[in-house]
Amino acid sequence: MTALLEIEDLRVTFNTRYGEVTALDSVSMHVNEGETLGVVGESGCGKSITALSTMGLIPMPPGRIAGGAIRLNGEDLTKVSDSRMRSLRGGDIAMIFQEPMTSLNPVFTVGDQIAEAIMLHQKVSRDQALKDAIALLDRVGIPSPDKRALDYPHQLSGGMRQRVMIAMAVSCRPKVLIADEPTTALDVTVQAQIFDLLNEIQRDYGSAIILITHDMGAISEMADRVAVMYAGRVIEDATADQVLDSPQHPYARGLISCIPALGKGAQQDRLAEIPGVVPPLHMLGAGCSFKERCSLTNARCGSEKPQLINHGAHPVACHAAEEGRA
Amino acid sequence: MNASYLMKRLGYGLLLMLGVVVLNFLLIRLAPGDPAVVIAGEMGGATEEMLESIREEYGLNKPVLTQLGIYVGNILQGNLGESFFFNQPVSKLIGERIFPTILLVLSALITAIVLGVFFGVLASRKPNGVLSAAVAVFSSIGYAVPVFWTGIMLIILFASVFPIFPVEGMMSVKLRDANIFIRSLDVLHHLVLPAFTLSVIYLAQYARLSRASMLEVLGSDYIRTARAKGASERTVLFKHALRNAALPILTVAGLQFGSLISGALLVETVFNWPGMGTLAFESILRRDYPTIMGVLLIASGIVVVANLLTDMSYRIADPRLRGES
Ligand SMILES: Nc1ncnc2c1ncn2[C@@H]1O[C@H](COP(=O)(O)OP(=O)(O)O)[C@@H](O)[C@H]1O
Ligand SMILES: [Mg+2]
Repeated sequence: MTALLEIEDLRVTFNTRYGEVTALDSVSMHVNEGETLGVVGESGCGKSITALSTMGLIPMPPGRIAGGAIRLNGEDLTKVSDSRMRSLRGGDIAMIFQEPMTSLNPVFTVGDQIAEAIMLHQKVSRDQALKDAIALLDRVGIPSPDKRALDYPHQLSGGMRQRVMIAMAVSCRPKVLIADEPTTALDVTVQAQIFDLLNEIQRDYGSAIILITHDMGAISEMADRVAVMYAGRVIEDATADQVLDSPQHPYARGLISCIPALGKGAQQDRLAEIPGVVPPLHMLGAGCSFKERCSLTNARCGSEKPQLINHGAHPVACHAAEEGRA
Repeated sequence: MNASYLMKRLGYGLLLMLGVVVLNFLLIRLAPGDPAVVIAGEMGGATEEMLESIREEYGLNKPVLTQLGIYVGNILQGNLGESFFFNQPVSKLIGERIFPTILLVLSALITAIVLGVFFGVLASRKPNGVLSAAVAVFSSIGYAVPVFWTGIMLIILFASVFPIFPVEGMMSVKLRDANIFIRSLDVLHHLVLPAFTLSVIYLAQYARLSRASMLEVLGSDYIRTARAKGASERTVLFKHALRNAALPILTVAGLQFGSLISGALLVETVFNWPGMGTLAFESILRRDYPTIMGVLLIASGIVVVANLLTDMSYRIADPRLRGES
């Protein structure tokens, strides 16, 4: 069966003052109808760039899609015309951003902003679109939606604004909904509510969700499958249970040990298991990009880039896993 | 927008104008020279007796503060005094001249804003493009060149090289009896060069300002959201971005209104435009104090009103400011 959305060998580069850097290197992932794909990894691993590529929102220049394909129902989004992409954006694929405080236009009411999204993709009158917008505000759990529709973003809390963003994103019942760290900027109590809402939306609308997060707890509750990213590559690709129960890559293992409830070594400190930081893109050398932070390296890790291959359990890009040393 | 805030701003404006009146009065009265001599000079010849009777008639022999009191009292009653030179009420003189000035200022302002913003928005789409460079160069030139110089250069150009626009006055004498439509066209024809001269500086500044403001706004998260909805590039630029980028432009335009008025007074004298500027110029040459003070008062009144309007439009344009005071 072909997936609803399939990203294949995607390569995205940026022109920077260090020259051309590769932000995404041969990234592949897919999501099926009604399924939730979790994408995890620390900041700077390329999660947002993957999402923005799918939306056709990579700033070009400096960005460039240097190779690969992004197929929605078989149609390659890297090749379609601008106007076709516009009709898909906000229609069949929609996105919720990480920054609810700044993602809404401060000079328009939230009702107007949702109605605009509706009118861009459906032939309805403005009045009807505003009515639909109010219904959507109600759907995403905003009290007295008819009044809130007349509010400007600054009159709403961060959690409310993110609900507005969700209402806007799902206004055209997208086939694929990308949520890029939708709760990072929010209070912990609000985070859980937003995840609940996403679950309900998925149940009601049947959308496939790509949930980008570095919160492994959210993954365990929401995701069916998981792609673990590191320095612009997918380094492990498996079902959520597999990744959570038996992560193969030392990096994935480090991420999981950071969730107190799930981790085997139950560490409270964030990423205590993985010393160091993600190397900047222009510093990526030969071999495995995780080698500086890994305790299992050998000579091969320094020279040969590990490929994402199934060595038994599920696909993982690690020489140590392949050699049974992990 | 609440009424009490408006009243407060209006109160400040009136206080400001009172300050202008007092300051002008004192500055002019304390300057050397005897107005009675000037008035007498206009009448042709003066004996000491005549001077004395003039002082009596115009109240010039009273203490300065008493004169100030009388003057302010008269102004509060809408009486700006009598022109020494024109022998007419100052309010009548200004009444005849205010419309040409406002016409000139508004045309220049609208030209500057519309064209400036248009070029600025276009330039912002390619921050390193040709248009961006042109805007930068043009705005430095516009900034550096004094308006009377631009005016004189344009006069030379259009008086001798391309005589397609009149370089002097507001109406052609020969069209005095034509119908209103023809006469309006004639006024517009005369308006082109003065309005363009006055707008050049501001046009350049608004272009640069809009470009910078747009560039900043275009990097915002909500612009990405607008694109993510599937909005067209034109909607993104002119609806989502410009509505936000316009806020600083509005502020600057409001702040600069005073300098626009003083620029207009200069441009008027260069092009002999029959507005308050030429009136001020003539009355300064003639030491016609009541007229000078009247022009300054009305000009400051215009600035106060303009600032009030800017403030209100700013509140309409930016919902975050509504309900605050
Ligand atoms: N406009 C850009 N120019 C250069 N590099 C960029 C640009 N946008 C993103 N990058 C780089 O791409 C990498 C991936 O970024 P991103 O996808 O935002 O990471 P994250 O996983 O935190 O979402 C980062 O190293 C970032 O520096
Ligand atoms: Mg990100």
